[in-house]
Amino acid sequence: MKRALILLSALAMLAGCASDGQESIMDKDDIVIAVRSDLPSVGFRKPDDTFEGFDVDVARYVADKLGKHFTLLPVLAADREKALLNRQADLVVATYTISQERKAKVLFAGPYHVSYQDILTRRGEPIRNVRDLKGRSICEVKGSNAAQRVVEERKVAARLVPFDDYNACLAALKGREVDAVTTNDVILAGLAKQDPSGLQLNNAQFNEQRSGIGMRKGDVPACEAVNRAITDMYQDGTAARLLDKWFGTSGLDLSTAAVPQFEGCS
Amino acid sequence: MTIVQTRGAPPQPRRQSVPGRIRIISGVTVASLALLFAALAVGSTTARDGLQVVGHDAGPQVVATAGLYLALSDMDAQVANALMMGNGYALERGRALARYDQRRSEANQALLKAFELSGDSPSERRTVQSVLDGLGEYERLTGQALLLDKRADHAPGPPPDEVVEIYRQATDLMRLELLPQAYNLTLENGTIVRRTYDDKNVMVPLLRGAAVVAGLIALVCLLWLQIFLATRFRRVFGPALMAATVATAVAMIFGVSVLGKDQEALRQAKSAGFDPVLTLVRARAISYSMQGDQSRYLLDKERADTYEHIFLDKSLSLMYLPAGNLGTYQDKVIRGSEGYLGLLGPELAGRRGTEAMRAYSNFQNADLAFRDFAIAGRTNEAVTARLGIVAQWFDVYDRALVALTQQHQDEFDRAIKTGESTLDSLWRLEPFAVGVIGLLVIAGVWPRLKEYR
Repeated sequence: MKRALILLSALAMLAGCASDGQESIMDKDDIVIAVRSDLPSVGFRKPDDTFEGFDVDVARYVADKLGKHFTLLPVLAADREKALLNRQADLVVATYTISQERKAKVLFAGPYHVSYQDILTRRGEPIRNVRDLKGRSICEVKGSNAAQRVVEERKVAARLVPFDDYNACLAALKGREVDAVTTNDVILAGLAKQDPSGLQLNNAQFNEQRSGIGMRKGDVPACEAVNRAITDMYQDGTAARLLDKWFGTSGLDLSTAAVPQFEGCS
Repeated sequence: MTIVQTRGAPPQPRRQSVPGRIRIISGVTVASLALLFAALAVGSTTARDGLQVVGHDAGPQVVATAGLYLALSDMDAQVANALMMGNGYALERGRALARYDQRRSEANQALLKAFELSGDSPSERRTVQSVLDGLGEYERLTGQALLLDKRADHAPGPPPDEVVEIYRQATDLMRLELLPQAYNLTLENGTIVRRTYDDKNVMVPLLRGAAVVAGLIALVCLLWLQIFLATRFRRVFGPALMAATVATAVAMIFGVSVLGKDQEALRQAKSAGFDPVLTLVRARAISYSMQGDQSRYLLDKERADTYEHIFLDKSLSLMYLPAGNLGTYQDKVIRGSEGYLGLLGPELAGRRGTEAMRAYSNFQNADLAFRDFAIAGRTNEAVTARLGIVAQWFDVYDRALVALTQQHQDEFDRAIKTGESTLDSLWRLEPFAVGVIGLLVIAGVWPRLKEYR
């Protein structure tokens, strides 16, 4: 009898050794989710230090589906990878575009939303297509490569005018110093919503940008669970509701709210 | 512990305690033998279960559902081709539509498989249902587009705007709603295989360890029993118990090695078979949709830029190297690069991999020529290139991928077969070993106990 007990405890020890090969956030009760703090309607820190926006609601939905308590951590574009690798954050839901370079260091669940590069102009001065930017002046905002992509990837000879941030660029657009602003459509939609009278989003939809949920490499079970949560979010209508809530009045084309093609967890 | 204490006490020649001691030692021996065989039985059942799921149930079905994406994207590509051909290619148009029908039927089969696999997962069932619904809508739209296109009787190249308008709705439905769901279905089903594998990969070594521990205890007990009998009954040899010891050692070593081999077979089947096969099937499906993007680029002028970028995006997801635009990418691919990332990059090793790589580079080269015609406004030549040289190189590339997939499929089958046949031998020998060792122990102990009757 005692031998059987000894054997059982030996088995339990072996089991213990075998299962802690890879830590997963699925084993945690509390997780930290990084969101943007600087993008209105996407990820934005309000004066009372709470957060709001589409990404924030997605983060809340996913954490809820995983059955985790969560706290939010504000990040800017440049901090996202660091926040994961330094273990300050367990998930990053911060318009984090999936790319092959990033995939070398970060595991992506999702994408939870596919956005496009788009063009914002003054009302009544539409631009249908990226090629119509030829000879026009557009903002080049520090830290964003969106304007260069027009000139270099699309080979459209637009004139780039440098600005420090989107607020300065938006003021210049209204003051007729530039003709257009181009970047991720949800960012533009957030900006346009702040000033609905004078600006319009053109739904030119050129470069596809897939926003994924970043996590540490190797955590395949968590990645699969997050993908399942995203599928649910689209199937139960939450995704359509959230898109409408945040971008419904912005002029963004929301006619298809369909679950995006996932990147895969391995 | 109690046993150790009695051993520690000075030997007492009281005859009554001897049969009791024999019974206790034999009992422990039999118990540890039972544990050994139980561990082997559970271990081999676990391994067999893993081989069954990965090798026969979920594994092949997951690969089959990946065919759904391929069938759907080729359907959409064939419609785009037919619309692009206009009145110049009657024969080819008929062929494209026949292939559309064939793919439609393949998609149906794959959907049935996917439904089977979905088991009791409501979310997966909803996905299958949603793809079925969407497919009906898609067929209605393409039917309309094809009919209008036929009536328009246009020259090869872009059809009239009303046709493009309807096809745009169809292809948006396909590319933005149906294909992602089909792709995700395969990924989700793939998690069954991953979970099964991870589970067995923990359990089999554990049971193997248990078999070793139980086996060693049984061997120690058998030796102890023999030493005890030898000192008490002044017999140097107990042939039956010696044979039982040897048989136990053999059974343990054999069983443990079979479990080890099975663990390895399962690993081989998963990492050298299933994973690369699934990756290649996914890559092949994406490649088919790239072909559709070429035709769409030609027939929808307003969205040409978007389709070109999607083509680049897909190229990058298959074979990644840093390049900002399609021109730079194709330049680099044609000049021959190494160390690709992406879905396909790491898979293209060995002779067949090099062949696939070369065909891919030629396909991209043909695409370059095709786009040059389109940009120069030589639409007719662009259509000819799309249906000629581009399609030819695509076929070579596709065949190379199929051959590579087959190579991994063979490895997969081999690993599963090896795993199952070693397990079979264990299953055949184990009951026999249990019987023989049991009889030998009885034969060794019974006569001694009888002396006390």
